[in-house]
Formats: sequence, structure tokens, C-alpha cells
Amino acid sequence: MTTGYHPLVKRLLDGELSLAELPPELRAEGEEALRLVGAADRAPVALSPALEERVMAAVRHAASSHTASLGNRAWRWLNTPRDVELRLRVRPWTVWAGALAAAAALALLLGRPAPQPVPGTQARGGMRDSVLVRFVLYAPGAHRVAVAGTFNQWDRGAAPLVPAGKSGVWTTTLALPVGQHQYAFVVDGARWVVDPGAPAVDDGFGRRNSVVAVTARGAQL
Amino acid sequence: MRIIGVPLTIVLGVTFAGGLAAQDVQARLDRRLSPEVQRAVQGIAADAAAHGLPVDPLVQKAIEGAAKGVPGDRVIAAVRALAGRLGQAMAAVRDAGVAAPAGDVVEGGADALNAGFSGHQVSDLVRVSRPPYDPALTLRVAATLSALGVPTTQALQLVEGMISAGRSPSDLLGLPGQVQTGVARGATPAQAAAGLARAAGGAPPGRLPDWVPPGQRKPRNQHKP
Repeated sequence: MTTGYHPLVKRLLDGELSLAELPPELRAEGEEALRLVGAADRAPVALSPALEERVMAAVRHAASSHTASLGNRAWRWLNTPRDVELRLRVRPWTVWAGALAAAAALALLLGRPAPQPVPGTQARGGMRDSVLVRFVLYAPGAHRVAVAGTFNQWDRGAAPLVPAGKSGVWTTTLALPVGQHQYAFVVDGARWVVDPGAPAVDDGFGRRNSVVAVTARGAQL
Repeated sequence: MRIIGVPLTIVLGVTFAGGLAAQDVQARLDRRLSPEVQRAVQGIAADAAAHGLPVDPLVQKAIEGAAKGVPGDRVIAAVRALAGRLGQAMAAVRDAGVAAPAGDVVEGGADALNAGFSGHQVSDLVRVSRPPYDPALTLRVAATLSALGVPTTQALQLVEGMISAGRSPSDLLGLPGQVQTGVARGATPAQAAAGLARAAGGAPPGRLPDWVPPGQRKPRNQHKP
């Protein structure tokens, strides 16, 4: 309906110009346009009852979900960005002392001895600075034999030996880090036995521990 | 306020760090020892840490005792005895001129003391253990030789002789095994060590003690039939 109006008349209808600002030759057209639009604005608009019902239902649903979902509200509250101004007043030495304390704690954490590898779970031959060491014990009649030592936190179940047939010889091969280790065999889960083929030292409990020295060239018993 | 602020902050930091170490010890001992033994071991470990001693050997010894089913009071006694040896070893290593020894060196010194070496002998061995010789290694080798029955003076001379002859660290680690081989052939530990010491004097660096120069006959093994 307004497609035929002059652009200046359209600006008049948009409220960007007043009637007085129009050129004289366009004022009649402007007055006519205002009259027509004014009549349209005043015409009553009747909404269908179905539309009103749908709108009100949507409003009620939004209101009920807004009050019911406390979690959503809490999340929105937590998630809404806010401007926070934090002002610290510190002396330089407190910063340095705190940094030193944190560094000491970090050094302590990083300096902790790494857990000893459990030989049974390590990929054989894949450990750096580790050497495969074969443990052998002649224990005829034994039902279970394991080797426990400083390399596996003295865990009696970590490194079981396997019987070689029915000869009474039990063996296992473990990847041990280079260095000297103390160990003993555990027969049937309870009896601690030193390795007859290795040096032994006092264990501090009135018994003996066997010693194995692992070098990059192999184990030295 | 400012005067007490710096020490207070440092003390808090050290306390925090010490608390972490104590938690570590507790975690490792948990479910292995009774609460009473755990508390006693933690106390010994905390005291050792305060004196700059390594804590890991103490925890290892407690774990070993628990694994072997040793009564709690004997575990505590063994851990306490080890802490005492670590303290003596620390002093001996410092006497050798190492101001801040590494934990494994102190542990090696404690092993040597346990094997019958004196503090002076530990100091002497640390003093000659210059790179590439790790004092932790030389101390442990000497301790193992002594455990095999080699008299401490002779064990010390053998290790020091190997070092002065320029043998490799791996050769040093092989000494206990060679002494055992000699003993298996019928020699006493002292005789076996003496034979190795004699051989060590002539072999060039990197060679095994029983190495014979080209063109010379290998001495006949007197223990071999």
C-alpha cells in the first residue's frame, strides 16, 4: 500500500521527518498517507481465542519451569559472568617467601622416590636402565614360590616363580633396575629362604637377605 | 609483625612440605603395619628427615619387616637401628668432604657400617670414590664383600685397589660374584679376595681381574683338579 509513496513521505511515516519538513508539493501526499496509516492503527484487532490460549499456556509453562528448576537457576547464577575487583596489598618479601615455600613443597613432591616397578607388570626388555635377571630356586615339594625384595616393595605376590616341570626347580625372569638389590624367596607364602647362589647380608630381623648386583652387562651374584 | 613474618612464612612452608612427606610415609605404611607401629615408624622417619637423612630406607625396612611377619616391636627396633646407622653414615660421609651427600650414598654407608666397617673406613672409601665411581656403589660392594666373609680391611684394600687400577664400575660390582666363585672352588673368602687384588694390580682399565696380557700364560687355577 505504501509502495507508491515518495521516499520523503515514507520517512514521514517512519517518524524521521515532520509534515512541515516536507517540500510543499509533497505535503498533500504526506497528509493523505498519515490519514490512511492512522486509520489502520486505530482499527481494532481481534485475536482468536485459540491463539490467546496458546500464548498464555506458554507463559504459564515458562513461569512454572523457572520456579521448579532450582538447579538451573543456581547454574545460571554460577555461570553468569560478573566483574570482580580483587585488590591485594602485599609486601614483596611475603611473595618471595610464599614462592620459596611452594618451591620447597614442589621439590619434595618431585623428589619422592618413584614407586618401584613391579616386575610382573612391566614389559620385559622395555625398561630403560633395566636388566633381565633370572631367579632360580630348587624347592622340591613346594606348592608356591615367589621372590620379594627391595625391587618390588617386598610384595610376596608380585613375582611368582614358575615350576620347570616336576624337577623341583622354580624360575622367573624379572627386569631389575641397575644397582644392588636385596631379596629372598618366599616358599608356600610363609617361609623366607635366601638364595643359595648369592651373597647374603643381615636383614636386621635376625635373618638374611640375598644380594644381587645388576650392571648394564647383566646381573652379578 | 614484619620481624616474625619471614620466619613464620618459612616455617609454614617447611611444615607444609614436611606434612606432605609424613603423608607419603603414612600412605606407604598403611594397611601393612598396625597403627602403633606405623606411628612409631613415622616418628623415627620424621626425626630422620629433620636431620637430613633419607627416609626411604626406613620405610623399606618397615615394609620388609611387615612382609616377613616380624613382630611390631622388632620392626621398630630394626628401623630405629637403621636410622642410627644412617646418622653415623651421614657423619662419616661428611668427614670425607661431601657436604650434602645424596640419600643413596648415606644408605650405602649404613650398609657398610652394618657389615662391620668403621666410620673411618667409610670416610676413606668415599674419599677415593671420585667419578666415575659412585660412592654408593663402592660402599655397597665393600659391604657385600664383608658379608661374604672377606675381612673389612682386605675388602677395603681390594675395592680401593680396583679404583686405583682404573677398573670400570661394572668390574667393581662383579667382585662379590668373583669372590663367591673362588670360594666355590675351595678358597677362603680372604684367599679369593687376595687373588683378585693381585690380579687387579696388573690388568689394564676395563679388563677383568683375571685378564692376562697377550703372550703370557694364564696362571693355573690351583682350585681346579
